[in-house]
Amino acid sequence: MGIKEEIYGDVLVARIIFDRATLMEAEQLRDLLSNSIANGYKKIIIDLSECEFIDSTFLGVIVNSLKKVAKVQGDLKLVGFKPAVKAMFELTRMFRVFESFSNLDDAVNSF
Amino acid sequence: MPNKILLVEDEPNIAKLFNYILTKAGYKVSYAENGSVGYKKTMEDRPDLIISDIMMPETDGFAFRKMLLNNPDVANIPFVFLTAKGTEEDILEAYNLSIEDYIIKTASPKIVVAKIDSIFNSIKREQEKANEAMQQAAGSLNATLVPGNSPVLEGYNFEFINKPFDEIPGGDFIDFIPLDKNNLAIILGDVMGKKWGAWYFAVAYAGYVRNAVRMVCNSIENFSAKLIMEKLNEAIYNDERISEVFITLSVVIVNKINNSIKYCGAGDLPLLLLKDEGYELVKSNGLLLGFSLEGNYSDIEIEMHCENSVVLFTDGLIDVKRNDGKVQDIDTIAQVVFKLHKNKNSLTDLVKEFIDSASEKFPDDLSLIKITKLNQNY
Repeated sequence: MGIKEEIYGDVLVARIIFDRATLMEAEQLRDLLSNSIANGYKKIIIDLSECEFIDSTFLGVIVNSLKKVAKVQGDLKLVGFKPAVKAMFELTRMFRVFESFSNLDDAVNSF
Repeated sequence: MPNKILLVEDEPNIAKLFNYILTKAGYKVSYAENGSVGYKKTMEDRPDLIISDIMMPETDGFAFRKMLLNNPDVANIPFVFLTAKGTEEDILEAYNLSIEDYIIKTASPKIVVAKIDSIFNSIKREQEKANEAMQQAAGSLNATLVPGNSPVLEGYNFEFINKPFDEIPGGDFIDFIPLDKNNLAIILGDVMGKKWGAWYFAVAYAGYVRNAVRMVCNSIENFSAKLIMEKLNEAIYNDERISEVFITLSVVIVNKINNSIKYCGAGDLPLLLLKDEGYELVKSNGLLLGFSLEGNYSDIEIEMHCENSVVLFTDGLIDVKRNDGKVQDIDTIAQVVFKLHKNKNSLTDLVKEFIDSASEKFPDDLSLIKITKLNQNY
């Protein structure tokens, strides 16, 4: 369990391998993405396919990372939504802000 | 939830024995066979306590401990050596690495468990002392985020409840701001995060909200929840210090003359409108505050008839597992709220119902506000 980092060319993929992603996992993701953006990555994908639930703190990190990467003319896209995760994005209206995909290949190729 | 222990031990039989002992004592135990694997698992799982042998292949206990101390994210996880090495030199070297305890493996299982229990109790006491100190500081700063009393507006009844996560002030805040003798603004905010970290931002945000309300309402005749939200959004978006922490917000303006409510939401949960014949979820379109200058905010007008109620709540009720096996979602919440509303139960009864029907601890702050139009002529 954890956050696995994978690189596909110039695309960084953060795979979230937690059943429930909350406060502690949010800090890990924040550090990973902050460092990646500081190191020049502008194409970022967060793969939530294995995540059953995220809380508002975790969502906040994802949203904030989109804001940060957008400032350097980059983008952050999402892959894989289990029902409760999708519900969190829909409830906060953030679903329409992110480009999302059902599989990783499509997401990587979309850049 | 049980405390999580990472046991780092290369000898399988010893690992099995202590795994059994600690699991029987109520802990959730994970295992690593040497310091390198132990470090990886610590980063992945963030245990509440690490118990490590010293003599292990590849990365021994001392090297493992030094790796942890070099990483601020994991340096403060309590650490115990459980080892056969017992020379004075070993013990002194171990204590130089900021450990909680050094236990010799020949100690009886009861003593090992007693020592581990004692470490956790001591950590809990320190946390409680720190919380108490923070609460006293907050109190002396008069920095409360939840009003002491319900507001008064003729023709309406107001109830509210706030139960912070783990009883520590957190990111939810509630405010009642009289705009003039006929209008009252009601604010329900939820800062993303928990406990004191969220509380600090909630204090900052609550200040912004009051300023926005004052600026907007001083300059216009028809009070608008949408304008308040737009003003707020712009201020937060441009403030780098707080724009990294997001907030969902509900702004409701109650007008006692025309018996209507204006509602505007930013990333919030739908407002629940309770009528005699049923309930309705009223959804707003606004984005989380501070995310974009184009927040897509609007005023939604809701006509209030006698005995109609409107309920606002933050997301602490969402996704909690219930005793009936279901997971609580918006519709489940709405059904429970409506049922208790029909039975004329109070908000306190409602929160008790939610807590009693949950099969796990609530993972977040719980806040609800209920506005009821009273059955009287005005």
